[in-house]
This record gives sequence, structure tokens and C-alpha cells, in this order.
Amino acid sequence: MSGAGAVLAVRGLRVEARHGGILRGGHDASARNRNPLASGTVAGPNPRVLLDGLDLELHAGECLGLVGESGSGKSLSALALLGLLPPALQATGQLSHDGATIAMGSSAHAALRGRVLGWVPQDPLAALHPLRTAGSQLVEALRVMRGQSREHARREAEALFARVQLPDPAAALHRFPHQFSGGQRQRIAIAIALATRPRVLIADEPTSSLDARIARDILDLLDTLRREDGLALLLISHDLPLVGAYAQRLVVLQRGALVERGDTRAVFADPQQAYTRELLAADRLAPLPPARDDAAVLLRGEHLRMRYPKAPRDALDGVSIELRRGEGLALVGESGSGKSTLGRALLRLLRGVHGRVLLFDDGQDGIDLAVLPARELRALRARIGVVFQDPYASLDPRLRIAEIVAEPLRIHGRGDAAARRAKVAELLQAVGLDASGADEDLLDRHPHQFSGGQRQRIAIARALATDPDLLVCDEAVSALDAHHRAAILALLVTLKRERGLALLFVTHDLAAAAAVAERIAVLEAGRIVESGVTAEVLRAPQHPHTRALLAARPAA
Amino acid sequence: MPSLRSLPPVARACLIGLVALAVLCWLGPLLTRFDPHSPDWTALSVGPGVAGHWFGTDAIGRDVYARTLAGGRLSLTIGLLASVVALVIGLGYGAIAGLAGGRVERALLRVLDVFSALPFLLVVILLLTLFERSLGLLLAAIGGYVWIDLARVMRAEAARLREAPFVLAAEAAGASFRQRLHWHVLPNLLPLAFVYLGLILPQAILVESFLGFLGLSVDEPSASWGTLLSEGVQELDGAPWTLLFPAGLLVATLAAFQFLGDGLRDWLDVQGQREMAAA
Repeated sequence: MSGAGAVLAVRGLRVEARHGGILRGGHDASARNRNPLASGTVAGPNPRVLLDGLDLELHAGECLGLVGESGSGKSLSALALLGLLPPALQATGQLSHDGATIAMGSSAHAALRGRVLGWVPQDPLAALHPLRTAGSQLVEALRVMRGQSREHARREAEALFARVQLPDPAAALHRFPHQFSGGQRQRIAIAIALATRPRVLIADEPTSSLDARIARDILDLLDTLRREDGLALLLISHDLPLVGAYAQRLVVLQRGALVERGDTRAVFADPQQAYTRELLAADRLAPLPPARDDAAVLLRGEHLRMRYPKAPRDALDGVSIELRRGEGLALVGESGSGKSTLGRALLRLLRGVHGRVLLFDDGQDGIDLAVLPARELRALRARIGVVFQDPYASLDPRLRIAEIVAEPLRIHGRGDAAARRAKVAELLQAVGLDASGADEDLLDRHPHQFSGGQRQRIAIARALATDPDLLVCDEAVSALDAHHRAAILALLVTLKRERGLALLFVTHDLAAAAAVAERIAVLEAGRIVESGVTAEVLRAPQHPHTRALLAARPAA
Repeated sequence: MPSLRSLPPVARACLIGLVALAVLCWLGPLLTRFDPHSPDWTALSVGPGVAGHWFGTDAIGRDVYARTLAGGRLSLTIGLLASVVALVIGLGYGAIAGLAGGRVERALLRVLDVFSALPFLLVVILLLTLFERSLGLLLAAIGGYVWIDLARVMRAEAARLREAPFVLAAEAAGASFRQRLHWHVLPNLLPLAFVYLGLILPQAILVESFLGFLGLSVDEPSASWGTLLSEGVQELDGAPWTLLFPAGLLVATLAAFQFLGDGLRDWLDVQGQREMAAA
């Protein structure tokens, strides 16, 4: 591997913490990038070395995929290539541009930014200035980096917006970031990156905050730019199947070290390393046994209608839905389709919902949660557990695990302190966190000492504390890495079977839905457009929207 | 709450300076043989350094050094107590408003707007003139003046917490309003509230000095900085040191609080970013 002909190449890239280098102060360029130092997930043999011995070559007109779970050092590699590592970290390695060697961190390296290297951020909302129009931010880049006159820059900005396929580019110049959708904002960020005519585009998780379908559009756009402009593209993601659809070559990272590299087709056809196989297999889960039709109805929503204040249309437009005991039901749709709203409306966690929500006990008439007095409603909540999307935000950072998991027991006044603690240990065991023996202190740790997947297990343990009949998961796996996602889904299936739990699974991820739910309901614009047995709906979707969702799924 | 070590250097210096000043005000009077209230008949209106009077004396021979430190003790104590009063009211009010949301929140915010619109100093002056002055009334008056901004900040933060998944999870598990308030919202607001204490303390000290200047703070013979200033203004021609020393210390204290406040704000921002990075 020589590096000849590469626009940009780096050999033996190594990132380590400087002596006494703890991230300090507000110079953290990647504050929202889940900095591996801050979350403490990087742990190699030497904790100071965060990334070691990585070779990357970026060729014109080629897409290189850099894949790994969070904390594997993907974002660090990108920042090191850009020369934008925080001062507490030091990168070493041989960097070359068009065959000429450039010292890491030198002014020549800094001069590559813009002229050679363009960067597409993970979160375009955070990367765009909220108080300035999209056009002015792009014009600024053009004037500073290319020294163009205002009028010239404005015309060029319009051309760039057209290039990234923003609708009505002339009008878009005068709109503010918040007036665009997530996908459009990402297009603006790409246009800004293109303003300086870079030859390499580094896209760090460019689609992780977007829907599957929009993500596909953005990646298609990047692919078009690669082919037509001969850009070298470094595509960084945790989603191997997604990257595989676009990259010609792949590099797989785990805990700061290279695991596997090679031609995409070869890696997919015959992955050499267990870790790569795990990443690939994460989306392929065992099919569920078919649903039973004779179970009693547990929860029924009737004619649910709801509109957020000042919203132009109903978030829920007369939705009716039914869930049986022990059954998994997936609510699927894009963001804005009303699936999360429906989940929360059924839980009566929202104000202003019209319609009835009936919760049934065995052989009795349903109780309408929607009109139940607050006190009685709180008592009934013991029968419903909820798991939210973000495992980082759903646990009170100040509390210990024992307090967090025992909270529902305390709320409902069950058991004394010792009994609650024993129950917590049992629950943690049930969700696959071993709390027995030497690890007793697990109970006394704080949430920040756990990884995302572990935290989500803790959140599930909390939801199960009162032995509920129903578990509601609101995008419970979408914030997780591929292999954590598979593990949590498997856990949910096990818990469902062993405890006879009914599962209401809100997601935009059809593969996850298929893994845990026997039945599925597809939502669009506040209505259920299709519902039925999951396997049948996925095999032969009737509604065009379902087909569109299926088509948007990355090919595994 | 992470360590104060990451405070910017200027803010840290100000913090150390303020602590030193507080210690000096409490212990300093022990270092001088003069009593702040008893005249030294042998040295009326003498300049700094004369006859063992480091800061000089006023027209009736009271030692300015002793009076300035005793005044500082009163100003700082009243300021601190009044800030704590404001903190308790503001934190409670803001937390309840923010967590309740909806109509309750809007109504409580309107009440805050009404309070902000009142010419509050006028009301305080009226209160202190009409009723018999007492320390309790003074604290309530100053606390009542500075709690409003604090309540707004706490309300905003509590509203954010209301939507935080862990508070939502507690609600979904059946937690009552009171349980969510006590278990999640108040404990998570507390660190922020303490930082804001550094921002409202100088306001409280300033209001107290203002009232003291008008003669509406503590009664003779005690004198806070504000009282000393009004006395000093009267003697400006003959004995300017009676004004300059207390005024200098008051200005230095307020400036130190200002820098400390700025530093705390930046530091909070950094902490916020870091929490985000950790999330």
C-alpha cells in the first residue's frame, strides 16, 4: 500500500492524550460529537492512546467507509485529519497530500482545510449559525476563502444551493437554519463545505440525526458529488450496512485499532474478523413465532385525536389501535408521522388528547385512562413500564443505580428499603447486568459510569420494577450502536416471552420492529395507513408509504 | 458538580479576594484597639495613619478602619441572608412554575411580570418608612427585590427538566407532582441555584447600600457601607477619607462579584457543553 495517487493519505495515525491532558475549557470543537474522552468509553491497553496505527488513503472519485461503534475512534480520525483535535490530544503519523509529506499539526496542515479538505458535520443544526441566514453563511465562506466580491459570491451561493438540490435556491439564501428541515440543513452544510472547492469531503455520521429515507437522499447526494466532481469521500458511520451501500473500500475500527480493511464487496462477502461479522449481522435477527389471536385485549385506544398548539394539522387524526396481552405491536413511521405522539397519548403523558384509552384487567371492563382522576391514574401506572429513546437523558444523573431502578417501587410504596434493593439486584440480573457477588457496588454507581447499551438495560430494569403488563418502548434502540441494538432487541424478546409482557414498540426502524413485534401499524401524518401481521406487511406492503419506508432501508 | 478548579483564573482570584475580605471583616476588628462606635476624643477628623488610626477618624473621632470593617460585616451578612431568602423563594417558585407547565406556569409567570413592572425600590422604601424597621423586614425587602430574576432562570431550567426523559419516566411510573419536584427537579436545580447565588449577592449588597445611604437600613449606632457613604459625603470637604475607604471597598467588592459572576457564567456554559459531550 503505497499512497501513490492518493489525494490525501495518512500512515500510522496515532492519537494520544498529552501529558496531564484532560479536556479543559470550552475549546472542545466536537462538544456534541460524543467525545470519547468525555464519555470514557475508550479503553485500550494504554488508556492514553486513543487511536493507534491507522492507515487511510483517500483517492479522487472514491468513497472510503470508516466504520466502528461509538468510542472506536472514528470521529477522532476525522478531527486528526482536519487538524482540529482539541489541544489536550496529540496526533502523530505521516500525512501526505498529492505525494508531498506534510507535518501533522503544522501550518501547512491547517492550510489544507478548506482548500483540500471539506467537512460535513454530524449535526447541521448545531453547526449552522442560528441567527444568520443560510445564504449569508455561505457567502461568508466564499468571500473569506475565495476572495470573491459580494455579488459574485451571492450568485455562486445560489449555484451551490442548486448543486446540493435545495428547492428554490434563490429563496433559500434568505431563510434561517430553523426554517429548513433536517435534511435540508444537511444540504446547506454540504454546500458550505463545497464552497471552498475541496478535493476531499469528510462526512462524520452525516445522517445519524436523520430519517432513513432522508438519510438515503443525503448519501445519494454525496455519492453524486463524488462521481461528478471526482471528490474523495471519507464516510464515517456506525452503520456498516449503510456505509457498505456507498463505499468502495472499508476500514473497520474497534477501540482505536484497525480491525479489518479491504474492498467493500470482499468484506461483505467474506468478513475476516468476528467483530465485522457482528456489525454485519446486527440487522439480521431471528424471526418471531406468529402471534396468538386468542389473548385478551390489554389496551385499546379509540378515535385518538390530538393537535399540538399552533400546529397546522392534527398530530393524531382519529387513530384507533388495540394491543393484546403478551403481544408485540410496533408503531412505525417517519419522524413527524405521529408514532411517538400516539405512544404518549396512550400513556396519557400528553395534554389535549381527545378519544378514549381503555386499559383492561382480566375479564373486566376497561378503565378509561383519558378521564381517570390523577390519583387513580398514578396507581394504574404501575401496570405500564416505559423506556425512552435516549439512554443518556432518561436516567437522573445525580442518582445511584439502586435509587433509579427502585424509583417506581418507592412511588407505589412497595417493600422496605432492603426488599427494594433485593428486587433491584434481581431486575438488573434479568436485564443482563450482573449485580451479584463482587459486583455488588454496581448498585451504587452513577449512570455516567455505564455505556449507552448498559444504561438502556438499566432503563428497562426500571420499567419492569413494578412487574407491569405492558412495556412501552419509545425509539428505545435507535440511539444505540448496531450490536448493542441487536442485544437489546434480543433482551426485549426474552423478557416478553418470559414475563408475558405486551410490548408497544415505537420505532422508525423496520428491522427492529420485525425483531420484536408480531403485529405492526404504519403511521403517516397522524393516521394508520397500514396494519397487520408484521411478516406479511413487510413481505407484501399494500400502502405506497409502507413500500417507501421499506425501500429506504439500507440494503444489508 | 465538578471542581471549582476549572474556574477561569480571574474569577478564581476574585473568589479568593472576596473570601479574604469576608474573613477580614469578621476578624479584622480584633486587630485594632479602636471600637467602631466609641469616639477617640484626642483625634477628631485626623487623616489616615495619625495616632494609630490607619484609615483616620471621622468628625466625632470614630476610627474609620474599625467602622469600615464593621460596616462590611453588616453589608455582607445582610446581603448574604437576603440572597438566601431570594434563593429559597426564587428556587421554589421557579421550580413549581416550570414543572407544572401549562396554565399554572403561565399564571405564575404573569405574576412575575407584574412584580417586575412594580417600581420596587419605591415600594421597599415605603414599606421601610411606614413600618417599624427590623432585620426581618429588611431581609424580606431586599430578598423580595432580587428574587424575580432568579425565579425566571429557575423556571426556564425546571421547564427543561420537565421535558427531560428521566422526569418523564418518573411521571410515566406514576410519580406525583410533589415526588417529581422533590426527587428530580429541586436536586438538579440546586447546583445552578448556588452558582446564581454568586450573581444575586452583589445585587443584594447594592440594594442594601442604597437603602443604607437613604438611612433606611440598620439603625444607629450600627452602620453598613451605605450608611458610612452617606456620612462620608457630608464630611467630604474636611475628611474625604471617611468616604473614600468604605466607597473603595464597596466598589472593589461589587467589581469582584461582577468578574466572579462573569467567570461563573462562562464556567457554567463550559459545564453545559461538557455534559452535552458526555451525553
